[in-house]
Amino acid sequence: MKIIKKGTIAIAMVSTMLLSNIVLAESLVLSIGSRGYGAAVGSALKSFEASNPGIKVEWLKISDVPSESRKLYVTSLMARSPTPDVFAVDVIWPGEFAQRRWISPINDDFTKEEMAQFNPSFLEAATVDGKVYGVPLYVDGTQFFYRSDLLEKYQLPVPKTWEEVISSSQTILAGENNPDLVGFVSMWAKIEGLFMNWLSFTYGNGSTFFDEEGKVNVNSPEAIVATQTMVDMIYKHKIAPKSILNMRPDDARTLFQQGRSVFLMVQDFAYSPLSADDSPVNGKFDFTRNPYFSEHPNAPATAMGGFLLAVNANTKHREAAVKLLKFMTSYESQLSAAVNSSKSPGLMNVYDDEAMKDSKVIQQLGKSYAAGLVRPSARAGGVYPKVSEVMQIAVTSALHQSKTVEQALNQAQTSIEKLLAK
Amino acid sequence: MALFNTLERRTQLIGISFVTPTFLIIALILIYPVLQSFVLSVGQSSMDGYEPYQFVGFKHYIALMSDDRFWNSLSVTLLFTAISIPLELMLGIGLALLMNETFRGKGLARLAVLFPWALPTALNALIWRWMYNADYGLFNAVGLESGLIDAPLNWLGDETLALLSMVVVSIWKTSSFMALIILAGLQSIPRDLFEAGRMDGMTRWQEFRQITLPLLKGSIMVALIIRSMDALRTFELPFSLTDGGPDSATETLSLYAYKVIFEFVEFNAGAAIVVVQFAVIFALSLLYIFMLKEKD
Repeated sequence: MKIIKKGTIAIAMVSTMLLSNIVLAESLVLSIGSRGYGAAVGSALKSFEASNPGIKVEWLKISDVPSESRKLYVTSLMARSPTPDVFAVDVIWPGEFAQRRWISPINDDFTKEEMAQFNPSFLEAATVDGKVYGVPLYVDGTQFFYRSDLLEKYQLPVPKTWEEVISSSQTILAGENNPDLVGFVSMWAKIEGLFMNWLSFTYGNGSTFFDEEGKVNVNSPEAIVATQTMVDMIYKHKIAPKSILNMRPDDARTLFQQGRSVFLMVQDFAYSPLSADDSPVNGKFDFTRNPYFSEHPNAPATAMGGFLLAVNANTKHREAAVKLLKFMTSYESQLSAAVNSSKSPGLMNVYDDEAMKDSKVIQQLGKSYAAGLVRPSARAGGVYPKVSEVMQIAVTSALHQSKTVEQALNQAQTSIEKLLAK
Repeated sequence: MALFNTLERRTQLIGISFVTPTFLIIALILIYPVLQSFVLSVGQSSMDGYEPYQFVGFKHYIALMSDDRFWNSLSVTLLFTAISIPLELMLGIGLALLMNETFRGKGLARLAVLFPWALPTALNALIWRWMYNADYGLFNAVGLESGLIDAPLNWLGDETLALLSMVVVSIWKTSSFMALIILAGLQSIPRDLFEAGRMDGMTRWQEFRQITLPLLKGSIMVALIIRSMDALRTFELPFSLTDGGPDSATETLSLYAYKVIFEFVEFNAGAAIVVVQFAVIFALSLLYIFMLKEKD
């Protein structure tokens, strides 16, 4: 009897615990990088839970390097895992993820007016067959950082064109005569960032990934000239070190931060470590939009990145998930992220808020995005990772001089035509 | 069935019942995945079940035949194995001979030799990546400071240097493993053989050539089999050290298969690469085993 009694009590306890869990709280998992949107997430979650006592949110702090968080997503979404319920997706993923049925459309959860407030190029990147699969959270892109103290010392203007970047670098390198100093660093290892760089260079010379008729256009004469300039920056003008070919964003940022490079082209994230109190270049640098070629003034050249929020197609708490997604992308949340962590909002009207007028950084970032270009991910869909890889290999072989620029781009042209024809 | 009750039969049954659980576990974690990979490689499907499995024959294998990147990764893998294994073996034998001598601090020396082997490869690779860094790495700093090199070397950015750099890390890490196995072999050689040799006036070199080496063949073969299989499967090292770069100069078969599966989300094409890799390793193992048998 005793045993039975004990058993009954135990069962009763367990079932109450289970029931109370179901009745009292729905638990969601939100997956988002801790560096990228960092501080903004913690405070947003606190106020979300306060206003929605029925929902508990666990913050899954994934890597901020998209290629790394992607691996995590691919494995769990492949297995149709119901978590993470809501997750941050890189701007180049929605096309592919939607095609694979990993994320669910959310356009019915927003009114047309609400949707119209979001960054249009980001919405476009998240639209597949007329349905929207993600809501813009924050925007970033490649920025051109420069050493303002060195430019001042040699009375040089902030470079607008690649020609100026090259000549200013040469002047400064000759003047400083410091073997540890280089002119330009960026992320030219064989990574997505290299493809972004290449797009910046080629768009800056008036070329586009697809031409006006929508045909692949990676070996246009303008693209060849732009790519040749990248090669020449290493071997002919000698302003970029050979080690640029294995630099990832943070390697390039580190070198610049050590005061060993005049120019740096990486994404927004570099601003905060560079301007930290203990940074050797704190107060000695600034940034501007990506350069263009002198024959194509003001050509768009900022390769846009950034994140959207999407809802897992297999979530068990869709209603709560949408609530969370709406909260995280609301005006108030995006404004607070912009003010407190200098994250450029995905909602356009936030830029006009009174509180944003004083934010020099956000205003400058906004100017860069005005010259933005979007990667061809929406159109490439599921084969985008392959398209990007083909370009990374082509540009790498040109940069290593194992192929001429023309050979490399012609081959890429053929491969990409094949990939997209499938 | 009277046979059933014979002693012989019973011993046999006991034997089978001991082997069965092991066999089942091996079947589950070894044979099933191998078969499953093969089934995947001759079909078209999506792992999440949205697309039903469809048999497509050897389509993915035929595609591999004209895939430059596959051939590149195969030759990188073979080259890496062919350079690193002999060097590891030579160093391993040397280390084992040293550790077999009696000297002060022998225990400490053995510990030091085993240290690299005890560290996880991914961690090793990260440490070495910093040391190889062209701009703020240790090797260039020491090289430049001591005047050995005039300009910083781009260790991981040059196609040839990158592969060699990877070989160096591998040798550093796994020679000690070879040494360990060979040391065990060394210690099983009866001392009196050497004494007899010395009485016959053998030099140290003759001793090594005619006593040590022949008697070590067994352990050398075992070390070779295990290390070659390991080297042909190398994944963590290029993954953490170079990510297969520059270009695809250090992209091994495992790394390429991984990329096809997890970056391009093409499980079937990836499975075909894995099956080819399995075949290569299997063939090499058979070769070693035959060589071992012949010696016996």
